Amino acid sequence: MAAAANEPQSVILTINDIEIEVPRGELIVESVKRIGLEIPIFCYHSRMKPVGMCRMCLVDVGFKQPDGSVRMMPKPQAGCTLPADNNMVVYTDTEKVRRDRKGVLEFLLINHPLDCPICDRGGECPLQNNTIFYGPSTTRYVEIKRHLPKAFPLSKYVTLDLERCIQCGRCVRFTEEISGDSQLAFRFRGAMMQPSTFELTDFESRFSGNVIEICPVGALTSAEYRFRARPWDLQTKPSICLECSNGCNTWFDYRVASLVRINGRTNEAVNEEWTCDKGKFGQNYLNSPDRLTEVFVRDGDKLIESNWATAFQQVSVAFQSAGSKCAALVGGKASNEDIFMLKRLFTEAFGSNNLDHRWTRCLPKSDALYRVATSIADFENEPVIFVFGNNIAEEQPILFLRIRKAWFRNDAKVIVACPEACEADTFAHTSLRYRPGTEAVLLGAIHRAATGAGGVDIAEASSITGVGEEAIRRAADAMKSGFALAASRSLLDLRNGEHVVGALSNLTIACNSSEKYNLFATSANEEGARQIEFMPSAEGKNTREILEACASGEMKALWLLECDPLSLSHDNELVTKALETVEFLVVQNHIKSECVQFASVLLPACAFSEKDGTYTNLERRVQRIKPIIAAKGSAKPAWKSFGELLLRMKGDPPPFHAHEVMQLIAASHQKFQSAIYENLEGEGVVIPANQSTEPQAVDVEYTAMEVPSNTP
Amino acid sequence: MDVIQISDLRGRPRAPRPEEVNLNFSEKAVRELEQLLNHYPDKKSAILPCLWIAQREYGGYLPSEAIAEVALRLDRSYAEIEGVATFYTMYHVGHPTGKHLIEVCTCLSCHLCGAYRLADHIKSKLGIDWGETTPDGMFTIEEVECLDACDRAPVLQISDQYYGPVDDKTVDAILEKLKSETSPSTVRLADEIVQAQLHKRDQEKVSGN
Repeated sequence: MAAAANEPQSVILTINDIEIEVPRGELIVESVKRIGLEIPIFCYHSRMKPVGMCRMCLVDVGFKQPDGSVRMMPKPQAGCTLPADNNMVVYTDTEKVRRDRKGVLEFLLINHPLDCPICDRGGECPLQNNTIFYGPSTTRYVEIKRHLPKAFPLSKYVTLDLERCIQCGRCVRFTEEISGDSQLAFRFRGAMMQPSTFELTDFESRFSGNVIEICPVGALTSAEYRFRARPWDLQTKPSICLECSNGCNTWFDYRVASLVRINGRTNEAVNEEWTCDKGKFGQNYLNSPDRLTEVFVRDGDKLIESNWATAFQQVSVAFQSAGSKCAALVGGKASNEDIFMLKRLFTEAFGSNNLDHRWTRCLPKSDALYRVATSIADFENEPVIFVFGNNIAEEQPILFLRIRKAWFRNDAKVIVACPEACEADTFAHTSLRYRPGTEAVLLGAIHRAATGAGGVDIAEASSITGVGEEAIRRAADAMKSGFALAASRSLLDLRNGEHVVGALSNLTIACNSSEKYNLFATSANEEGARQIEFMPSAEGKNTREILEACASGEMKALWLLECDPLSLSHDNELVTKALETVEFLVVQNHIKSECVQFASVLLPACAFSEKDGTYTNLERRVQRIKPIIAAKGSAKPAWKSFGELLLRMKGDPPPFHAHEVMQLIAASHQKFQSAIYENLEGEGVVIPANQSTEPQAVDVEYTAMEVPSNTP
Repeated sequence: MDVIQISDLRGRPRAPRPEEVNLNFSEKAVRELEQLLNHYPDKKSAILPCLWIAQREYGGYLPSEAIAEVALRLDRSYAEIEGVATFYTMYHVGHPTGKHLIEVCTCLSCHLCGAYRLADHIKSKLGIDWGETTPDGMFTIEEVECLDACDRAPVLQISDQYYGPVDDKTVDAILEKLKSETSPSTVRLADEIVQAQLHKRDQEKVSGN
């Protein structure tokens, strides 16, 4: 070991007669990129372990001898499995290498059907590209090709075309190394080797869409996109995904004015290059006929099509007469700009402070309980991670991949506490499956086990939660010297949510990890709304109070931006009553939702693909979106309509461009100053956390809560 | 070889949930598996011997329930176990073999000594082709590569026994003898392999001595 530590961390090797210095152990296929060269590859993928299956990356390798001569290896070597070393001499473009590559491609093409004209991958296919540059121009193979079924639906999303498969194993390795569900494996052997699921059953994975993107041929194709377009007919623009709070970067492929497909876009800090199936296949609402495209105003029982001027007229009259008895609620898909301008409209023009973006049952006042300290990328290097609460693979799929990577690459100890079986259990150091409702008790027991004081008795907790004493001690043992917490704000939906989150906070403080406490947002711009402080100040009302005031008739006017309270709130009865009772209801959304029936004025908003703006993801990373397709009908970005309304009511000059709004945000919220649009190209900007004092332990009742037996 | 049938498309099944899998290993098999697991650093390494136990327990072949059971017992995915099992030709995945598996060597020495002629004789006598099983479920015939017994060419392996050199007459006699033998020799073969995998010390532990 001592010798290894003394060895220099970098080595010097020669590639195509150019001497370069690279880190020890770097693969040749990566080293050549440093001098701007590329080795053709199929099976190699930089995020997965090399296997050397396709033999496409053959290079000539030799070693400098002490006498100065170079002794070449008699046979070519696979660049994807060969680590760089001192005195190594690599040639990537000799006559011999070219001949070898030609040979490899000829073999790969023997059983490839060459149905490129009708293949989805045609035009963006590594096999096509490598064949053009390195392959033979004709084939010597005249025998009958292997015939296998085409278009086999592996799942609802993924279609498998076995004839096209070149058996590189990328998809198999993806499910094994990255997503961890191990749904795919190779069956049979030799030329008949086929990637498939067990007994050809359904390919059930949250990340199945990625195998379509990493397949270097057209063997795995998207069932939805299949035969819908040619890649060169599509226009591609960068975008981000709003399906959860991760803020994954995507490529938005569209034709004319409709979305065709979503692909993952590389952002090392956020999603690396992966997408979840919800993000990749769940964006079709953009093309939906249910999109809200025109302004509607109420006329008796029905909503009639109208225009912005009429709507503004009615809105300004209603809200002005309501005075401070008006309120606004936003959902997760409103951008920073929308939220800021709505806040401005309410505070400056309507004189109301009844604003909220939170939809959970408990709404703790303490800002410290909401803090997020660890970035997504940092999770990779955390030695101990505590995943608490709901199934993280469902709530934050891409964060789940990072945590899995921490375990897979860096042997992190992941302690998973979840009331039901979840994906994270498969790699958990300790899996704590507690009875729903006993969250606080479990945390109390861990607290006691880790610190020897406070919390609740372990034996007692074990009988209440249904988690074994030994498991609690094992978890506490791993956590007591520090851990990173991954929990989400959906915990606040529990009836004793405030206590559960308080217990989490106490536990992190007790284990000296309060700087690794994370309570993540669950919807796309929830964190942004928090940072812009779209929350009631002292005299304002919070979500629950607003809804109650609406239901009692006290609140005269309500503005709903990009939200459907009927699906967001836990108390549908209260929401229905509130929406029915409130005198004037403005619903502003990009899509029709259930609450449309109650609306007095219905305003169309642009979806994320149609507007300029920024979103703040769960780690406070502000990311830019640009308008990609034209706004539908008379829809306009929500921030623009608020600006126009401000102009009508107060004579303030409206911002003309989203970047002006961001400047206004930065002027009133210091932390956004780094997030002006010039800085947002690339990976986005993480804005600083709220300056808060040292988090204090809070009083917590470590008691279980009765859960009605009929809850699912 | 088994290829995907397009008719499988309708009503796509899903893989069984762990709680839906029936565990059919006998107590002895479970003990053997426990012993085998001691041989390896992790459970993954025990896939091959465990598949042999399964092949014995499930009557000489590996139905999908057997694959699922092995996967559950070793904490691996179903697909991985199936991939391993389909890779090796001595595991019979999916369809049952006959009680006696006739493997005819057709490599060079046996070929020169009339292996194919011999195979044709067996096939016409039993009325089956390569890879098929007689309707009474007694025999399956398969073509194999060199059995490493060229001095006895042409040679047959019937489950755990080598026969060679054989001619039509001796083969007829062997088949007659096997017909009267009701216990499947394929299961015996699997058992012998399992026993070979277990060290003698382990075997004593398993049998409780």
